[in-house]
Amino acid sequence: MSAGTSALPLVGRDRIIGYGLMVVAVLCVVGPFAWILMSSFKHQIAILTGAWSFTPTWSNYAEVLFGRRSDFVGNVRNSAVVASVSTVLVLVVGTLAAYSLHRFRWARWVTTGFLGWTLIFHMIPALTLVGPWYIAFRELGWYDTLGGLILTHVTMNLPMTVWLMMAFFSEIPPEIEEAARVDGCSPLEAFRYVALPLAVPGLIAAGILAFIFSWNEFSIALNLTARDTATVPVAIARFAQQYEVQHSQMAAAAVISTIPALLLMALGQRFIVRGLTLGSVK
Amino acid sequence: MATVDIEGVRKLFDQVTVLDGIDLAIADREFVVLVGESGCGKSTLLRVIAGLDHATAGEIRIGGRRVNELEPRDRDIAMVFQSYALYPHMTAAGNMGFNLELRQRGRDEIRAKVGAAAGVLNLDKLLARFPRQLSGGQRQRVAMGRAIVRQPQVFLFDEPLSNLDAKLRVQMRTEIRTLHQRLAATSIYVTHDQVEAMTMADRIVVLNAGRIEQVGTPLELYDQPATRFVAGFIGSPAMNLADGTVVRVADAMALHTDGGARWPLPAAAQPFVGARATLGVRPEALGFDEDGALEGRVTVIERLGPLSYVFVDTGGVRVCCQADRHDAHRPGDAVRLSPVPSMVHLFDHATGHRMSLD
Repeated sequence: MSAGTSALPLVGRDRIIGYGLMVVAVLCVVGPFAWILMSSFKHQIAILTGAWSFTPTWSNYAEVLFGRRSDFVGNVRNSAVVASVSTVLVLVVGTLAAYSLHRFRWARWVTTGFLGWTLIFHMIPALTLVGPWYIAFRELGWYDTLGGLILTHVTMNLPMTVWLMMAFFSEIPPEIEEAARVDGCSPLEAFRYVALPLAVPGLIAAGILAFIFSWNEFSIALNLTARDTATVPVAIARFAQQYEVQHSQMAAAAVISTIPALLLMALGQRFIVRGLTLGSVK
Repeated sequence: MATVDIEGVRKLFDQVTVLDGIDLAIADREFVVLVGESGCGKSTLLRVIAGLDHATAGEIRIGGRRVNELEPRDRDIAMVFQSYALYPHMTAAGNMGFNLELRQRGRDEIRAKVGAAAGVLNLDKLLARFPRQLSGGQRQRVAMGRAIVRQPQVFLFDEPLSNLDAKLRVQMRTEIRTLHQRLAATSIYVTHDQVEAMTMADRIVVLNAGRIEQVGTPLELYDQPATRFVAGFIGSPAMNLADGTVVRVADAMALHTDGGARWPLPAAAQPFVGARATLGVRPEALGFDEDGALEGRVTVIERLGPLSYVFVDTGGVRVCCQADRHDAHRPGDAVRLSPVPSMVHLFDHATGHRMSLD
């Protein structure tokens, strides 16, 4: 993905078709978001009548954030705690595991076994695990606790973090760490002062991806939390009740919930692209 | 005293023998060059000395102390890597002072020592730069500086010049040698370039297939190669080699080559009559001679400025002959050659060992 990569210029009919496809793709992504964004500024009645012209209002945001019946701020706080703590934990565990697997001479079956297991685990739908977790957490007293939810998010994010960090560590030439060992570092110091600082882009990429996953995660949170510990996605879903769907507030809450992800993606996009394409082009 | 003693060192990687019984004693302040073709085990030997790889058998002593079980950091060595292996996230000064920082030396001491090393290496103005902002030659100097700052007992160099262009390589060669004379620390230098070995070493160790072929001063190796391998490896252009059988023609000795040419041999070759042998003559020991026994035809002439090399096809064997800069031969000329008898080498065809003509 170097800057020097040259693309073939499109001309004539190809150009029109190319741009056409691009517009369709952008509309598919931006369209629903734009619709939600518009809805968040409409009164409920304008949404239900399907009116195109409307007078924008902040009332939905005000109701979601400051309304007496709303505990959305508490939900945001829960999400922030769960996403932050699980991200930090998964980075610590995942980075150490990746470094150990990459650098130390483990028997082949250990490395293959571990990585194979993480890959299989990554492919299992989260819902498969929710049932057993629910029963286990009820027994242990972890149901309806942020700690329990954090643990599940660490588990879900660990495979991706290990794979991503291994890709970053494998980019560091072994001589640099050897130089550090000759220079006076113990293996732990070589990790701390040389390998880790060089893997910071990887930490950023893996951290952002883990944070966004945790922030958006719905099915586990829905089953393992109750009113006090509900996270943002669960709270958004609760705007749809049995007899009433609060479309406008739901839209406002949804828009608010995208803010952290948008900010993180904007700041860390280049690290993520690099992380996901590492090793693909030499 | 920083002697390095290597005794019976063997190294196996997955049943493959990379080092096969290395014995070598390196004196204090000596500059020893390990040279050989790629895969001969020279870099592995250096890594074993550094502690980055462990010897399967044998003992390594630095300054009389057994170091086999010690971590690299406890061996009191510094190493310059082929790829420089600078820390990309540290400045030149950071790279050079990293070891002192690990040893928790004071900031002033670090600055003084880094400054002194930078002065020696002309790096004063580059200390605040990161490796990515430096040219190949400058990175090389920083890597050298990192080694100097430590004031180790032994310097280890793993092909440090092979990533530089030809001109810079020649310049750095002289600088490393000058630096060694100034610091007077024991140095072990690995290269595949025999010119580097010849120009830099106090003693050269020629390695082949995990074994030492010969140890000696550059001129010893050049004048008295112990094996056919050393004869062919040391010297540029390489020594002319021809396989054949030692014969007596009238009263004179000669080597009848497999291509049908007849090379004159000194009388001392008499004990070897009938033996299969490889004859070796350096380009400067081979001259044009109208009465020469060796016939051939000029194929290529290389003019180097101070002298010329004339390549002659003699019965299927192409030989190189050193001539003066104005040599008038042209490709296609028929010539006769004759070697200087005292500068002819003979090697056993089967074992490759030198056959004495003294």
